Amino acid sequence: MKAFDYIRPNSLEEAGRYFAQGKSVKILGGGATLFLQLQNGELAPDIVMDVKDIPGFRDVRYHHNHGLKLGAAVNLQHLVTGLEIRRHYPLLNQTAHQLASPQIRNRATIGGTLAWASPVSELAASMLCYDAVCHTWRPEGARAIPIGELYLGDFKTALGPDELITHVHLPSFPVRTFGVYQRQTVRHDGRRMIAGAAALAVRKHNALTNWRIAVLGVDDRPKRMPEAEALLAGAPAEEDIEQALAAVQDNIHPQDVVYARADYRRTVLDSLLRRSIQAIIDNLQDYNA
Amino acid sequence: MISRKPHVIGKPFPLIEAQRKLTGVTCYAGDEKINPDMLHARILFSERPRARFWLRNLDAARNHPGVVALLTGRDVDGRMGHTVADRKLLAVDEALYAGQPLAVIAAETPEIAAEALALIQVDYEDLPATLSIEESLSPGAPAVHPDFMSYRGAEKLNAEPERNIAHALTFVRGDVDQGFAEADVILERTYTAAHLQHAPMETHGGVAQRQPDGSVTMWMHVQAPFLQRSIIAGALGMSPEKIRIITGCVGGSFGGKVFVSIEALLAAIALHTDGRPVRLLLTREEEFKGVFMAPAMRAHIKMGAKQDGRITAIEATYDWDVGASVDAAIFHLQAVTLAGTGPYAIPNVSVRTNAVYTNLLPAAPLRGLGVAQVHWAIEQHVAELAEILNMTALNLRQWNLVKGGDHLFPNFVMHASGLESCGVLAVDAIGWRPETPRPAEENAADASVRPGVGRGMALGWSPIILSDQCGSSVTIRFDRERLCDVVVDGVDIGQGLYAFVTQVISFELNIPVEWITVEPTDTANYAPDWEASYHNLLWSMGHALLRATGEMKKQILSYVAKVWGEPISNLDIVDGEVVSYASRRKLPLLSLLEEGMGEEKSPPSFSVTATYRPSNVDGSIDSLLQSFASTAYAAEVQVNPETGDLTILQLAAAADVGHALNPESVRAQIKGAMIQSVSFTLLEEMVFENGVPISTDFMKYPIATTADMPLQLHPIVVEVPQRSGPYGARDLSHHVQVGAAPAIANAIYRAVGVRIRDLPITAQRIYDALQEKRARESAVR
Amino acid sequence: MKHEIRFIINGESRSLTVLSQQTLLEVLREDLGLTSPKHGCSTGECGACSVLLNGEVVNSCMVLAAEVDGADILTVEGLATDDELHPLQKSFIDHHGVQCGYCASGMLISAKALLNRTSRPHEEEIREALVGNLCRCGAYADIIKSIQVASRARR
Ligand SMILES: Cc1cc2nc3c(=O)[nH]c(=O)nc-3n(C[C@H](O)[C@H](O)[C@H](O)COP(=O)(O)OP(=O)(O)OC[C@H]3O[C@@H](n4cnc5c(N)ncnc54)[C@H](O)[C@@H]3O)c2cc1C
Ligand code: FES
Ligand code: FES
Repeated sequence: MKAFDYIRPNSLEEAGRYFAQGKSVKILGGGATLFLQLQNGELAPDIVMDVKDIPGFRDVRYHHNHGLKLGAAVNLQHLVTGLEIRRHYPLLNQTAHQLASPQIRNRATIGGTLAWASPVSELAASMLCYDAVCHTWRPEGARAIPIGELYLGDFKTALGPDELITHVHLPSFPVRTFGVYQRQTVRHDGRRMIAGAAALAVRKHNALTNWRIAVLGVDDRPKRMPEAEALLAGAPAEEDIEQALAAVQDNIHPQDVVYARADYRRTVLDSLLRRSIQAIIDNLQDYNA
Repeated sequence: MISRKPHVIGKPFPLIEAQRKLTGVTCYAGDEKINPDMLHARILFSERPRARFWLRNLDAARNHPGVVALLTGRDVDGRMGHTVADRKLLAVDEALYAGQPLAVIAAETPEIAAEALALIQVDYEDLPATLSIEESLSPGAPAVHPDFMSYRGAEKLNAEPERNIAHALTFVRGDVDQGFAEADVILERTYTAAHLQHAPMETHGGVAQRQPDGSVTMWMHVQAPFLQRSIIAGALGMSPEKIRIITGCVGGSFGGKVFVSIEALLAAIALHTDGRPVRLLLTREEEFKGVFMAPAMRAHIKMGAKQDGRITAIEATYDWDVGASVDAAIFHLQAVTLAGTGPYAIPNVSVRTNAVYTNLLPAAPLRGLGVAQVHWAIEQHVAELAEILNMTALNLRQWNLVKGGDHLFPNFVMHASGLESCGVLAVDAIGWRPETPRPAEENAADASVRPGVGRGMALGWSPIILSDQCGSSVTIRFDRERLCDVVVDGVDIGQGLYAFVTQVISFELNIPVEWITVEPTDTANYAPDWEASYHNLLWSMGHALLRATGEMKKQILSYVAKVWGEPISNLDIVDGEVVSYASRRKLPLLSLLEEGMGEEKSPPSFSVTATYRPSNVDGSIDSLLQSFASTAYAAEVQVNPETGDLTILQLAAAADVGHALNPESVRAQIKGAMIQSVSFTLLEEMVFENGVPISTDFMKYPIATTADMPLQLHPIVVEVPQRSGPYGARDLSHHVQVGAAPAIANAIYRAVGVRIRDLPITAQRIYDALQEKRARESAVR
Repeated sequence: MKHEIRFIINGESRSLTVLSQQTLLEVLREDLGLTSPKHGCSTGECGACSVLLNGEVVNSCMVLAAEVDGADILTVEGLATDDELHPLQKSFIDHHGVQCGYCASGMLISAKALLNRTSRPHEEEIREALVGNLCRCGAYADIIKSIQVASRARR
């Protein structure tokens, strides 16, 4: 790795001062992506700024009305083990189980993962389903970016170069929320993503409301599928599901990659999503039975 | 130390090296001579498959502070090779493949070495290249080695350099035209297998140091130090005694650390520095881009059979993409030719194997030696043929199987083997009774089989050939300082060689294992022209050990017999004591070594060296062939018919090892081979973009993780003794690989009715085949 | 930039001067001579460099040495006591959880992290805990078995 200065500010203001120095600064979360870029010379910043010590960055707070606040430096492993996640955000928990490896999960952070903005980000897909909002800070002030607006496609985000994600906020969800995440990858630990599909709905009486569908690996960013969601509202019949699946196909733009063709990714997504939706419906029926 | 009573061969015996490995004490290449004073080497690799090139700014790199030496092909212009010198130490003017070394540098720190390399500007002018078997063999293709005939050793090969055939072997028996004329059914198919990577967890590297006398000492963890000594000597124009290679445990080789890749460059740069140790450790990316690949295969099989199931003829052509160098792959060619019919005694045979040059990374055989790929073709072919003949594949196989006594090759008569038992046991292990093959749709109706689930099997046979002109050598020394000190010329690459050596000595001399120390292999212990065997070591090392221990026992007993005045035939060694069955006298060996005995009282020391060399070296196709190892695989898979996504529910592998000297270790090796095979079959493919490898890390070249393991593994040990083997044992290292891929493919066929004839089997390939099948079926309707 | 760091390594307190860009793996191996963590990829893919950082398993190739100021680190050198191997080490020896051995340190560390959390993991949990550790020799089945037996032996 090229030489740089590692610094570890204790406040946002201190962080802001480094940005103001006119040197190139890269923010370090867990380094799971940043290290690769530093190792292969793609990035050669003057300063690597570790944000773990900034107050609030490692906080996790849950309130049954206000929802969940996850500090940007909370690691992904917390999504696997945290009680509040397991209880109230099972889709997030289920997704986190499948993310990378224990080694990576222990290091990689919520902020770094969201800022990395990969088109195959599984965390982002699940956050999309929960309507997460990304809270940021920069010397000019703080702002809130709904997660759907954070991504501009192809690893690009709405974040400025001196903008820090401070935390992520997820609204609270009724206990009757049920979510399923399905993926197909070449290697079964998650490497080489072909496609992934997260689906979530809230059970209300005998119907399913609040459908959320998020897909990944089939476009330049993880995406919600609002048209499909609308078609599923209530107690979807066979035709509704077919129409919803068709709507998804109309709204994705998969790319050919070395290990999977675009048309194949479409087929796989269709199959995964069908299974996810069916699992949610089955769950409702099990409940009713 | 691990304390175990003297034990018998055939009983559990933990790997001696295991404790060192598990306490972090074992030294691997990267752990050698860590010392703040040492220098660090880096290599500049070509980034074009074939190009004229110019290195600019060399002076800036040379003068960069901290750079100690920089060599280009103009400074050391050597060719290297064992059989044929078809490689250059460093390219001069023209690079033949992406990944070919262009320059090597040594500097005070790895960072300085990298900075200096970055200062060198390489200008390329692309030249016409050939990047696949098809391209290379097509008329008018550029010759990869137009000057081939001028290379040292060229005459030893059966080459047609202008057609890019580096070496070809043929084996003919009977008359295939006649055989096909007699056949009721003829089936012809093409099968392919992708380029693979050895991808050991430990990348290539080591430390080299120039000695005051102008020689070089190298600490390198390679599979074949003696072979490397001779290749490096040849490349640098030095005599072999000027090169000393000391090895230790190897962090995985799988064939990739047999032949010289970057080692000669390390020696060269060390010779041009100030005598400090120089370390070279490849990054993972360099390991993927700049060492070796395993050859890709294209097989064309034509088989004829009579309605009753007798195979009358086979015509098989196996083309291997060996990249820009055949030298490391020559041995592989003999193995695949011998195995080319599969384990079937077919009266009329024509097998041809071609090593085809391309402008890609040089190939080195991978564990399985290509025999696994041969079976990928044959074992699917046989299954398809059986279906056409409307008989079970198992029956068809049984009908045609080679049997003990079959005179298969000019000098080779088949021995008794467990081939058939392997097949039966493997199939049985997954709970399958193969019946008449039925289309997948009917399969689904079978109550015991769920939809999308299918089972398949494959047999395998794999020649045990000793590496040419060499054997194994063992020296055992017995004295008061070191007790039983052992020097061997083989290397522990994870197969448990040192444990095997310890086990045999402990058993034969009847002494505790704690007394025995196996020294790291060092070429200095042997004559400069000695070339030790580097695979099938159990065989050659086993024979050498039996000779050495026999001789050692005789030495010790005759020494004691003389003092006691008894005939040697009265004496024996039991539990570390010399005993006389006649006089009932006893003498602990330890006190013999400590205090001596008799008049002189000066303690004796004993030393024995024994060597085993194979005898049938005559250059014919079955030269050095010792036996065939048999294996069988059975698989149960589940396929998602919508997406082609595949799960291996069960995998069974049976291997006939002759005699399992260390049964748990054998089972461990079998399980390892099974998982590696699953990885080769489903995941691995080295991808090139315009001749440049793009599979350069473990994300782009995925290998199996625990998440990819079959849900159930059934390793099965079969023991049909090999009369000519040590203790009746046969080697297993390479051979257990054979049969996994076709068993899985055959299972997929029975699950969803499609045949995949290209490796790796990816979900997308299954999906494509399913689409094609659906299109075909709807066209029929 | 230089950093004075203090940390506990295998139970012993050490202080050291490191550069910003040095990884923990580099410092452990080259400066402290602790060579049980291995270099396999430096991209977080192989797990050969795994160490316990404050009780959690991490890839030491993806941690800056400067980050571990004040931390508690365990490598395989610190697993056994003077006169006794750790139950995991014993079990790996007895059940062939090692072939070439290059992945072994990482496997032991991942296993230790798992057993710190779960005293009696079932097979599925062990498989999950090891997905970040590549073994090219394919010794997974015996590694899993070794861990299972060790966990049973513990109580
Ligand atoms: C071996 C391996 C396996 C993986 N497997 C998976 C997988 O299965 N599924 C999956 O989805 N992903 C996977 N990943 C990707 C992994 O999830 C991401 O690399 C990781 O989550 C990034 O988080 P981090 O905290 O380490 O970010 P870093 O690498 O530290 O940072 C990433 C980027 O975000 C910026 N950044 C960091 N923190 C902030 C902040 N607070 N505010 C603004 N910008 C910030 C950095 O400057 C950098 O540009 C894998 C990665 C590896 C190395
Ligand atoms: S070397 Fe750290 S994960 Fe491979
Ligand atoms: S034992 Fe060789 S890599 Fe695991």
